[in-house]
Amino acid sequence: MLWPGTAKDLHPGLSGNVMVDWSIFPEHILPELKNHVAVRSMRRQPKLCADTSDFVNIDYGDIIHVDGRYLLVVGYTREGRFGVEEQPKQWVPRVYDLETGERNIVKLVFHETYTIKLGGLKVTCYRSPEKEAQVIELARGNASFMQGYAALDEVGNLVRILEVVNGKRLDKVIYTLGENHLEYYEKCLPDVLRRFLVAVRAIAMLHSHGLKHGDIRRDHIFVDREDGHFCWIDFDYDFYLPERPYAMDLFGLGNVLLFLLGKQAFRPNAVLKDPEFGEKVFARLNENDLALIGQDRIFNLQKIYPYIPDALNDILLHFSYGTEVMYDTVDEFHDDLHRAVEQIW
Amino acid sequence: MRNWQKILLAIDGSETSERAVRYVSKIAPLIENVEICILNVYPEPPPDYYSQGGRLDTYKIMREERAEKMLTDAAAILTNAGIAEDCLSRRISMAEGRTISQVVLEVQAEGDYGTVVTGKRGVSKAEEFLFGSISNALARHSKRFTSWIVG
Repeated sequence: MLWPGTAKDLHPGLSGNVMVDWSIFPEHILPELKNHVAVRSMRRQPKLCADTSDFVNIDYGDIIHVDGRYLLVVGYTREGRFGVEEQPKQWVPRVYDLETGERNIVKLVFHETYTIKLGGLKVTCYRSPEKEAQVIELARGNASFMQGYAALDEVGNLVRILEVVNGKRLDKVIYTLGENHLEYYEKCLPDVLRRFLVAVRAIAMLHSHGLKHGDIRRDHIFVDREDGHFCWIDFDYDFYLPERPYAMDLFGLGNVLLFLLGKQAFRPNAVLKDPEFGEKVFARLNENDLALIGQDRIFNLQKIYPYIPDALNDILLHFSYGTEVMYDTVDEFHDDLHRAVEQIW
Repeated sequence: MRNWQKILLAIDGSETSERAVRYVSKIAPLIENVEICILNVYPEPPPDYYSQGGRLDTYKIMREERAEKMLTDAAAILTNAGIAEDCLSRRISMAEGRTISQVVLEVQAEGDYGTVVTGKRGVSKAEEFLFGSISNALARHSKRFTSWIVG
């Protein structure tokens, strides 16, 4: 429920003359709460939210009360998608535990169903808190996955309380490696792929338990600041593909591998406009070199960087329009990549 | 091929699956000691089914009613072609934690069917990657039985 609060006293810290009823909060969190910048800068009564159903009304400076914890909302995570600028995700606030001082990310229940178009194909996509909670449970203690736990709020919403991953988005890390592609390929890629293989094995482990990641993208892998291992985040998407339940995960892994090998994903028009490649590379491309799904990106990377070995390029070609053979399982993808890495380096 | 006259006919109510039934109705009367199991395997409910208040028993009843109708229609085509009713059996199954083709293969192995028949819709490679193809899966995994894939 959202506590309306009754005006009782003036809080000297709040800007303006705002009457704040502190009595709705337990005594022991008041010193932290009153002094926190998120509350000091407020011009309204902070709410105590034990029912998180109406997450759009849980704002910066409000307190989420779940699992006996008092979690002050101090910000929101952001995400860009389908070419749209990064947007704050109001159902995924950043929080500060008023008792322990721990910082977490909280994911509130947000059921949504929508259709995504991949090329001309439509796939129905579901946001499923239950499925994310299952993955978190299964992956507890596994460094390849973000950690946390799920708890029910006052009215039974499945809230996920997550540890902040101490790392940086994989794509942002990859952009910083090497002066150019050749240097990246020679000096950095072997290590990048070995770390990626561990992450791929982690996805295969999920599948062996009947679970999927659901939203495999290069910005859903974080690189740990301390030891550089890859850590998957965001497991709340699900798909309904009864005959190929793991196809979207495989599709995502192919896209991530394309990015890792190319240090970017190439589209034909961008290649044409790039002075490094231009017409001479563009003219060599044909339909079979493009992505199997969507035909938007170039999967035959050897046509851009001829030094990419066959063993790696052949894996990419499994995801190309010209392929005759597709991966059925992540294990097959992993084994080919593992073999290629061992053979080349 | 052992038991080739034991036919597992997997149907899904589509036009191509009806073509498979009609194909079997032409061939089967010519086979001595033919046995045909008409099978429908349906998928689990979609992920949002339960969060919208759906119940598994309601879903199963709905799918099984639909499957009964499919099986009855297929049986009518076969008996009209001269196949005796006692040569036919019917089976309906939900693919729980498995794909539809996996269940068809399990039923084949369990019943030792020497022939598995299914319809084939034309799908692009991209569709096959995302949505799969039961006929392709059967063709790929057919060991110790023959697949008839009717296009």
